Amino acid sequence: MPPAEPLLAAHDVARRFGHRRVLNGVSLTLGAGETVLLVGPNGAGKTTLLRVLAGLLRASAGRVERRGRVGLVAHYSMLYDALTARENLRFFARLHGVEGRRRGDELLEQMGLAAFGDERVGAFSRGMTQRLAIARALLHDPDILLLDEPLTGLDDPSCAKVLQVLGELRARGRALLIASHQLAELLGVVTSIGFLVKGSLAAVEPVAGRRADAITARYREITARG
Amino acid sequence: MAELLRAAMAIAGKDLAIEWRTKTAFVSSMTFAVLVLAVLFFARDPTAVGAVEVAPGALWVTFTFAAMIGLNRAFLLERENRAMDGILLSQVPPVAVFFGKLAANLVFVGTVELVSLPLFILFYDVPIGRGLPALALITVMATVAFVAVGTLLSSMVVRTRFAELMLPLLLLPFLVPPVVGAVQVTARILAERPLSEVQGWLKLLAAFDIVFVTLSTLLFEATLEE
Repeated sequence: MPPAEPLLAAHDVARRFGHRRVLNGVSLTLGAGETVLLVGPNGAGKTTLLRVLAGLLRASAGRVERRGRVGLVAHYSMLYDALTARENLRFFARLHGVEGRRRGDELLEQMGLAAFGDERVGAFSRGMTQRLAIARALLHDPDILLLDEPLTGLDDPSCAKVLQVLGELRARGRALLIASHQLAELLGVVTSIGFLVKGSLAAVEPVAGRRADAITARYREITARG
Repeated sequence: MAELLRAAMAIAGKDLAIEWRTKTAFVSSMTFAVLVLAVLFFARDPTAVGAVEVAPGALWVTFTFAAMIGLNRAFLLERENRAMDGILLSQVPPVAVFFGKLAANLVFVGTVELVSLPLFILFYDVPIGRGLPALALITVMATVAFVAVGTLLSSMVVRTRFAELMLPLLLLPFLVPPVVGAVQVTARILAERPLSEVQGWLKLLAAFDIVFVTLSTLLFEATLEE
């Protein structure tokens, strides 16, 4: 049987901002049930890569193929502070063509925000906003989920909740690409790790059986090499 | 088509719900409208210039500049937490975003005009009774023209550092033709002259509506790209 087509494939993707090259020929595939952790120093191009893969930024060169719905959790919430959590989810659900009332309530429950559904997002803490942003990204049950620092601002219980949700998504065959510096926390849910250095994907290696300190050493070796 | 309408309605509904809740733009626009009407009324020497002579100009200066405050706000809402990315990720066609924003802006500007009109009549004591349907028609025609361009330009300047300053600078040249037409027609209405005297202006206003709405719709997508 031929291998299943990847849900997401980037072919030689480059992106410039004026004269500055942020991504240099990044090629990457992501199949069903795969979770890739993208690591790299600040300014390596992780956020830009996620935005290009999500379709929010046009690649200056190369191409991106997506086979399925895409969700994005960015380091900004994409939510309206003046609306309540429930209103935000209903609005984005309508845009996705999803029945918002039931799905929104389900996600609020899943993210531990059911009690705060009628509160304005502007009054939310950083961690609550982050969990709601994840709920927003899951509204249309995406096949491909791109996450930029999803654990930022979360306390331990919230972190555990998000990791549990990510694990469930992976088990359901969703493709996940996570850009994060929190290697130790995410090691349990990722299948491989990609090292992005100066806009180039230096390596993508399987995680199986490797410990966090071994991966950190490898990360240091790759970034030192430049 | 139904999908496009559903998305446009959702976006317009969301914008109006936020404005209803915060009233930021409405309060600013109405304060501005009252101030302009009052200043222009008291600046006139009643022994030298009749109220009817300055009233058309005063009305349209009030309408257009008060509207600009609301137009400025239209896309600033989306800049907060980069909510526009959330809208674009839902794959709604850019034209639906434009029509949603246009509809919300028309409702907003229409409301400002509706509330300003009795104040205008009160200040200037103009004979408007029989001319009200004609004034309503001309208001709709001129408003559609400048709100369409205003919506496009508001989206274009929202990522610039001085968005609130840039919009009036760019919009004013486009405002001149429809507003001059509206002033001319309003002057005839207040002088209780037949509309047949200004048929040329009415046709020109209809042409502005068609051209401005069509061009703004076609160009809108380009304003969303980074």
